[in-house]
Amino acid sequence: MSSAAVRGFFATAAMGFALCAAVTVQAAPADTTAALEPETSDVVTMEPPKPNWFFVDGGWDMPGTSIFDGDSGKMVGMVETRRLADMAIDPAGKYYYVAETIWSKGDRGTRQDMVSVYDTRELKLITEITIPDRILIGSRKNNFIISDDGKTGFVYNLSPASSVNIVDLVKRKFVANVELPGCASMMPNPGVGFSALCADGSLATVKLTGSKADITHSAPFFSATDDPIFDNFTYDRKKKETTLLSYTGQIWTAKLGPAPTISAPFSIQAAAGIRPGETKPLELNWYPGGRQPMALHRATGHLFVLMHMGEYWSHKASGTEVWEVDLATQKVVKRRPLEEPMNNIEVTQSDKPLLIMDGEKGTALVIDLATWEEKHKIEKAGGSTITVADPS
Amino acid sequence: MKKFDADAMGEKLLRRLAGGTSRRSMLSRLGAALVAAPAFPLLPVSRAEAAKPDRSPEAKTAFARTAQSKDETKCDYWRYCAIDGALCTCCGGGIHSCPAGSEPSPVSWVGTCINPDDGKAYLIAYRDCCGKPACGQCGCDNTDRETQLYMPQLNNDVIWCFGTSSMEYHCSTAVLVGAAS
Repeated sequence: MSSAAVRGFFATAAMGFALCAAVTVQAAPADTTAALEPETSDVVTMEPPKPNWFFVDGGWDMPGTSIFDGDSGKMVGMVETRRLADMAIDPAGKYYYVAETIWSKGDRGTRQDMVSVYDTRELKLITEITIPDRILIGSRKNNFIISDDGKTGFVYNLSPASSVNIVDLVKRKFVANVELPGCASMMPNPGVGFSALCADGSLATVKLTGSKADITHSAPFFSATDDPIFDNFTYDRKKKETTLLSYTGQIWTAKLGPAPTISAPFSIQAAAGIRPGETKPLELNWYPGGRQPMALHRATGHLFVLMHMGEYWSHKASGTEVWEVDLATQKVVKRRPLEEPMNNIEVTQSDKPLLIMDGEKGTALVIDLATWEEKHKIEKAGGSTITVADPS
Repeated sequence: MKKFDADAMGEKLLRRLAGGTSRRSMLSRLGAALVAAPAFPLLPVSRAEAAKPDRSPEAKTAFARTAQSKDETKCDYWRYCAIDGALCTCCGGGIHSCPAGSEPSPVSWVGTCINPDDGKAYLIAYRDCCGKPACGQCGCDNTDRETQLYMPQLNNDVIWCFGTSSMEYHCSTAVLVGAAS
């Protein structure tokens, strides 16, 4: 292109911009109170996560974790999470952490695994903490967890040997990789390290001393092949307890510590006055199901479970009802039918709690727990796991 | 009737893997990891199974009762009883063949599925084909005897593209390993 042509191009472009500007000004609504000022582009600064905010992982087809204000139903921002990334929130509300895997040439080249650190106000990338490896799987909330004091991150790895990467979130350094044979799906175990469910039907407890790990196991209490426990279980940091739910509908509570104590189970169906779920075929009953099938409201001790009618081995099926279980009395206190089947469920821990659900079409529902009124229905919110600011 | 036995299934799969692959270091390492992983933690399960209700492959699940053996591009084809993902048969590949330019994973999750033609149970290895973007055709998610992450060899959500040049998931095959004896 000759220099004259270049000048001509820029002149035309400049005219175009000028015309655009003129049209924009003319098209703006009449404002008689103030002259319209020219504007400059800027960037919003957010507030730290609030109790009624919720975070929806877009899932396989939709990268990014969208942040919604449950009170207004409006999207307020997005945490950068690519496909198969796991997000966790700093308990102090200062950082969003993303465990993720990228390659130097898009889908090939050098593999890089890391925990990326974002501040919660500007959502700017502060640093990347390199880790050796991590599992690639979606829809799991217990593959990347943070200790209650916010100081340590645990990233599950399957290479396909099973292990956990320990990350110091204060020094922002990788500490060690500890083997975890036969176990996965972690929960914090304050003052000890972490615990995890195992293929032998036990709960493993990993005591960490620096980079040294001592693993002990509870007695087996469930069958990993016959009646598995959903690996998206809940964890109550106030009570230091986990609530576990199996495919047939058995519910356990485990008190964490150096040697966790596990309660006797009860059946969610029996708690609702119907026959307990069974593993044999042709047994039509209500079963729990979905990717994130339950949520615990800590203050009331009520567990919300997505339930569907079907046969055994339908554990991924979306729920057509929400059953509200009072864990103390072991009774289902309410059964709520859903207009559209839902696959993931979470509850905010605020004074006026909201029940959040999303389904396979990516539509999210916000329900006021006090009245069961549908406050918001948000299309294209995302179809995968839901997190809240103070998760259980 | 024979109980469902994850240990025996794993052993059969590993023997096949050992017999049919070279001594390339990556595979050896994967094999060693797989041998080490299930050997110890599964032993107590085998003992516990004796007291569990009957869940043999012959007691047909909802999937097995309606499965067909004619069309490999449909989710109800009998070998797909625990598959999750895009069927390679719809992506330019075949029941045990990866589409051109993609690479089969040397390890996989497994299922025990009943062939409606002979009523027998077979061990199926769901090997992912890797190294291309998600195919997106014929998405299926069947969950017979599918377990959770602490038993990964029976979990169908894990991306199984280990030991391949790219871990990008393209589609899934359903390779017949043998009779589930």
